[in-house]
Amino acid sequence: MYAVEMRGITKEYPLVRALDQVDFFLREGEILSLLGENGAGKSTLMKVLYGMCRPDAGEIRIKGEKADIRTPKQAIDLGIGMVHQHFMLIPVMTVAENIVVGQENTKGLLFNQAEAEKRVQEMIDRYGFGIKASQKVSELSVGEQQKVEILKAIYRDAEILILDEPTAVLTPQEVEELFRILRDLKKQNKSIVIITHKLKETLAIADSVSVLRDGKMIKTGMPVQGATADELAQMMVGREVTLGVSRRSKKVGETALLVRDLVLTEKGRTLLNHVKMELKKGEILGIAGIEGNGQTELIECLTGIRRPDVLDVEKDGKKLGGTPGDFIHAGIGHIPEDRMTRGLILELSLQDNLILGYQDRFQKRGILDQKRIREFSDNLLKEFRIKAPGSMAKAGSLSGGNQQKVVIARVFSEDPDIIIVAQPTRGVDIGAMEYIHERLLDLRDEGKAILLISADLDEVKSLSDRLTVMYGGRLVAEGKPEEFDDMELGLLMTGAISGEDREVQRHGSTNS
Amino acid sequence: MSSQITSILVSTLSMSVPLILAALGGVLSVRSGIMALGLESMMTMGAFCGVLGSYYSGSAAVGVLCGMLGGGVFGICHGILSVRYKVNQVISGIGLNLLAVAATTLLMQLLWNNKGSSPQVASITQDVLGSPITYLMLAAVFAEQFVLFRTKFGLRLRMVGENPKAAATVGLPVHRIKYIAVTLCGVLAGLGGAYLSIDHLDMYVRDMSAGRGYIAVAIMILARYNPIMVLFCALIFGFSDALQISLQGYGVPPQIMAMLPYIVTLLVLAFGVRRITPPAGVGLHDDE
Repeated sequence: MYAVEMRGITKEYPLVRALDQVDFFLREGEILSLLGENGAGKSTLMKVLYGMCRPDAGEIRIKGEKADIRTPKQAIDLGIGMVHQHFMLIPVMTVAENIVVGQENTKGLLFNQAEAEKRVQEMIDRYGFGIKASQKVSELSVGEQQKVEILKAIYRDAEILILDEPTAVLTPQEVEELFRILRDLKKQNKSIVIITHKLKETLAIADSVSVLRDGKMIKTGMPVQGATADELAQMMVGREVTLGVSRRSKKVGETALLVRDLVLTEKGRTLLNHVKMELKKGEILGIAGIEGNGQTELIECLTGIRRPDVLDVEKDGKKLGGTPGDFIHAGIGHIPEDRMTRGLILELSLQDNLILGYQDRFQKRGILDQKRIREFSDNLLKEFRIKAPGSMAKAGSLSGGNQQKVVIARVFSEDPDIIIVAQPTRGVDIGAMEYIHERLLDLRDEGKAILLISADLDEVKSLSDRLTVMYGGRLVAEGKPEEFDDMELGLLMTGAISGEDREVQRHGSTNS
Repeated sequence: MSSQITSILVSTLSMSVPLILAALGGVLSVRSGIMALGLESMMTMGAFCGVLGSYYSGSAAVGVLCGMLGGGVFGICHGILSVRYKVNQVISGIGLNLLAVAATTLLMQLLWNNKGSSPQVASITQDVLGSPITYLMLAAVFAEQFVLFRTKFGLRLRMVGENPKAAATVGLPVHRIKYIAVTLCGVLAGLGGAYLSIDHLDMYVRDMSAGRGYIAVAIMILARYNPIMVLFCALIFGFSDALQISLQGYGVPPQIMAMLPYIVTLLVLAFGVRRITPPAGVGLHDDE
């Protein structure tokens, strides 16, 4: 028996057909992985099911009954719950308030806060979530916030649960915990869809898999048992791909960037606590960590965007300091973590974006040389295989992967000695990801020094020659990527063990 | 001297009443996620329509109701502009403020052939402790505090103001809640305006609210969007208003004294409102 049947779902946006005659089936009591690249239409399809997006054509049946779902409220009434990628929580309100709002119990006119907290706490205890109903959501970790989202759906008696990229922001421990919860829910005969582009997780948790590519359903309801990651990747991308390129540095040179001391405090909080590191020519130094542990601040201090309290940094033996412009001229390239806010000006053309920060090279007495800019841009678009209607197109009109390539093209074309790269492949399709990784490794092999900051553990592990972990504004551990296993990294990233503990464990185990 | 002090205190209270009413309206509006820059227009309409109602009916009570209605209509306008048409809320607020001044001036010219002021109308008589509107104001403070923080509707309204998208995904009627909030905002600010024209005075004078709508915005922020705090914060401004009136005629040029409430506003905005964060969803929509 199918919990959900969707047939012939079509959704068109101006210029794109987001969903093209898509059929989707979810069996009762199964965990289904909805696989596809960014922009393949996964989220759109599920938003159609949740009533957040009206399809242009198609039919939906829930448990065999035809359903016309126009609003999330109708979806909720049909027993559908959705955990959104960007959590729909109010940080200043309590767990209980977040969960019951919309279906509150009342005592006369009053909202019955005590009753709400009691009922929510019972649910939390039943599932062993270990949070308090009276806590404010802002006090919770990301993993705990996700549990609140799941409870929100269960509280509304969801029989069908949709999770949009649930593991994107979780540590390995939290992913394990989530999978345990999902298996529990499955035992209660709930039907679950996880939207993901991670193959490893699909293989680990799902019973079956449906693959979307460019708005078309390539494979629907294929059993996961017996499938391989390569097979799934090929369905997802439409051609053969090499997953997880890994190529270690052959020639590590002398020190390019030496951070002797870096301290940043803000409003009495220490954001960077005596960070020390050494980056050598011809190596990629990876920094793993959960967002908000000082990575952003570290990047901003090393590119001159922020003025730290103590900045004792040398590049090739010369002291660094000054404005962001001074850092650029000193040969430090920066690929920012958020291309929308720091990387690009979405309203400007690709030409303008490609020379941003380097305009001086293209001007004579304050007047820009348009012809040279055009040639330069056209060359870069070709060289970096940026898919765009032309160099006058607005940066905002490109897909995520192509936007990221524009940022990368700009920085690489300046030929910096040191490149600080943050989240280079966030929201980027597999094709562009492969390309960006290859380029980074090529530059490394040419002798550039690269500092890579990424929340994607697989990415930092496969690219880095050396790996450090950042927690609470400090670099807490360092070593070869092969030396860390995922669980250990997770513990370091959450501060559950410190770098010293790890050393002790390691030596302890070699001694015995 | 002591009679002087008493008169300043009484005057403080009476100058605070319209500010509190408008700020209470502002709190409702902002808590639901709509900026309250249009308060000035709602007060102006309240003051004008109050006089209009009293002029035609001969009853001050009818005037007060008309004032609330006038403010409410402008509240709905602000709601339609910012919810339905997603106009930038700063622009829609300021636009309404300009419209209110222009419309009332035009209507005064048409009705009474006088651009400066209306004829005298029936007004509410104040006793030492204030007028019925003062008691209404006090009731409104506590009622609003109760509704916002103790009822189901209040929880939903605050949720809509914090994150309209999240509210929509749990099935809350986001638009309806915002319309209710902004309409009530207009009604409260309109009552504040009516207080100025048919309680404090007995006629409408051009530019009667004189920036009080903006001062109410400052009060509401200083009060951290909390009705009971509004009551106390407004007294600071009411006091400065009372002081400037009573100090006139002591040799200080009255123009300089008249600046006092605005200087206080400026100082409060510059130094008093740090680290006060409005609801996170102000100015955001549920469907984009």
